[in-house]
Amino acid sequence: MIEELRQHLRRLERPAGLEDGPAALPLGMPAVDAVLGGGLMRGALHEIAAAGEAHVAAATGFATGVASLATRPLLWVAEDMCSLESGAPYGPGLAGVGLAPKRLVTVAVAQRRDLLWAMEEALRCRAVGVVIGEMRHGALDTVAVRRLSLVAAESGALAFLLRAAPEDDASTAATRWIVATAVSNNERPRFLAQLVRNRRGPRGQWILEWSESDGHFTCAAHAQPVAAPPVHRPHRQVA
Amino acid sequence: MLSLWLRRLSTDRIARSRKASREASQAPLAVYGKRGNADVLVAVDDVAARYSLAAGLALTQARAMHPSLEAVPENTEADAQFLESIADWCLRYTPLIACDATDDLLLDITGCAHLYGGEAALIADLAARLERAGLAFSIAVAGSIGAAYAAARYGAPGSHANGNERKVLTPLPLASLRLASETVASLARVGLNRVGDIIDLPRAPLTARFGGTVVRQLDRALALEDEPLTPRLPVAPYIAEQRFAEPIAREEDVLAVTERLASRLKLALERRGDGARRIELTLFRTDGAIRRIAAGTSRSLRDAAEIRALFVERLAALADALDPGFGFDMARLSVLIAEPCAPEQIGIGGGEHVAEMNRLVDRLSARLGSQRVRRLVAQDSHLPEIAAATMPAQRTGDGDGDGDGWAAFRQYRDAVELSSRPLRLFARPEPIEAVAEVPDGPPLRFRWRRALHEVIFADGPERIEGAWWSEHGGQASGNLARDYFRIEDRSGLRFWLFRAGLYRDLSPGDAAPAWFVHGMFA
Repeated sequence: MIEELRQHLRRLERPAGLEDGPAALPLGMPAVDAVLGGGLMRGALHEIAAAGEAHVAAATGFATGVASLATRPLLWVAEDMCSLESGAPYGPGLAGVGLAPKRLVTVAVAQRRDLLWAMEEALRCRAVGVVIGEMRHGALDTVAVRRLSLVAAESGALAFLLRAAPEDDASTAATRWIVATAVSNNERPRFLAQLVRNRRGPRGQWILEWSESDGHFTCAAHAQPVAAPPVHRPHRQVA
Repeated sequence: MLSLWLRRLSTDRIARSRKASREASQAPLAVYGKRGNADVLVAVDDVAARYSLAAGLALTQARAMHPSLEAVPENTEADAQFLESIADWCLRYTPLIACDATDDLLLDITGCAHLYGGEAALIADLAARLERAGLAFSIAVAGSIGAAYAAARYGAPGSHANGNERKVLTPLPLASLRLASETVASLARVGLNRVGDIIDLPRAPLTARFGGTVVRQLDRALALEDEPLTPRLPVAPYIAEQRFAEPIAREEDVLAVTERLASRLKLALERRGDGARRIELTLFRTDGAIRRIAAGTSRSLRDAAEIRALFVERLAALADALDPGFGFDMARLSVLIAEPCAPEQIGIGGGEHVAEMNRLVDRLSARLGSQRVRRLVAQDSHLPEIAAATMPAQRTGDGDGDGDGWAAFRQYRDAVELSSRPLRLFARPEPIEAVAEVPDGPPLRFRWRRALHEVIFADGPERIEGAWWSEHGGQASGNLARDYFRIEDRSGLRFWLFRAGLYRDLSPGDAAPAWFVHGMFA
């Protein structure tokens, strides 16, 4: 009953940009979607941090995998240092994770201020479905992040903040993920995704597998969700 | 055609810079430079001229005549720059301006004079402004370039009506025809000193004796032959401008004016079915300085509000503020590049989204620079770093067409069953220390960025031949063939490694092939 009312409310509150889909973007895995309350919330900011410097590609893969589930164009804003340190997004590889390179517009920025400005500007544009902001280490202006959340809520677009290392700062992001790569025996790419903050439900930890042919994530069979880590210590969990 | 001769360009420049630093002096001022092996005066100011100093005099002689003479070494670059800045400033009268010699400007004021209420009024306006700037000048308007030039330099300044060239030129010396000094000298030797002396002479003997230039220059000056003017700046196809009775200084005012000018341009653009691809806003400051701000667009643009939005971003991105000084007294909006603009359909279909996206790309490009906002394009190459490139998004179009090559890439990938490519590619391959089986085996372990990686799984090799037809690849790995491996290490990190060079190509004594990390898989 309460759930019904909630859904009704959500439908009423749905921003104008959401006419082409539900308020949550389902990841296609019942276990994960249940924890997220139906899927990754659109119109919200999500933080995805790599577990360490070497795992940036895995975090990128997770973010682009989720982004490929949305349909509209994607804007990728990155600080200059990011493409130097971790490499630039490579078109043929993006095609491999199900993201048409056509959909992508990349923006290189020199300063964090410009990064936040460009993200905000992109979120205000109704044509953009997903905005990925990639940043290196360092503190984030909480006011700016709050602004991003608000702008995202107005537009209904998905906003990702891709960070090179897990930080423990306060944030208004709807979810915060720490993504590491998992051993895959050179088959489908696997990610160890920890949901360390979730405004709408419990936390969780899964091993996800990306299937290139089907274009969606699956939960790796042998890695059923384990209990959430008892204490939230992302800085100790560097794999 | 208006010819503006700045008689004392270099001394005026020096005097102006002195005035700024408040060093007034009454001493005669001269500029000297090396001619041959001697220092000679090349320019003198009015005071020095009164003391009967003149260009061409040896510096030592001039010093002996007037010990108080102030002599400054010549600086042709600064003079040229000064002339350029004056030319810029003259853009307020006409877009067609040419720097003819080192110290004069040609303005094509055809069709512009009425804006100032006639040629005489335009000359008066120009003269008043130049006088205020402290420049010595001489202005003449005539029907041809040659006549205007001759009149300005050789003592008949003012406005001369079309068809009067003959009357103007007759009393002037032959040098006024812009002839080489040797030609003038040889003409003088046979007693021909003034233009009037040759104006009615039979042409054939004149040409036979003194070459074709004399007659050609005469014809050009008399407007019997056309002489093209080469403007220093390309002339924009669409221009709208506005003068202000009261100078404006605030940014909001500048933007409001921009929008007003843009809406005026819109009418002109619509009439010819064009749209703007590159727009420049020129602001003329009251003290003669000029500010140019340009903005590019990703598609042909007409809408005034959108043009205004572009300049909002441009102004925000300016490193130094607009610096209006005492205000701008004129603004001009010119469309530098115009392209046909298809009429837009509003509403049905995804067109609206495409337009929105283009607007976003324009805004970002205006603020961050068009080189920073890019789209990925596929190129027809088997070399991984060339196969995918990026292009400024404003130039690739809206990503709807098939100009970006991804469809062709997909076909190629499916046809040859290309093995998978990494998600992120390093700008240049990073060298690693690897232990590998010889000759063709994958690495067993390797050190990248000071960390040791133990390989547990390898897939490969995928051999990619180098660009053997090109002399040098321009990078560390050169043109060598590469063997690519997909590698997974013990913690699950997936690398794209390659060995540059093959063992079979080695000759004795060569170093072993080097290994590189080129990218990372998700």
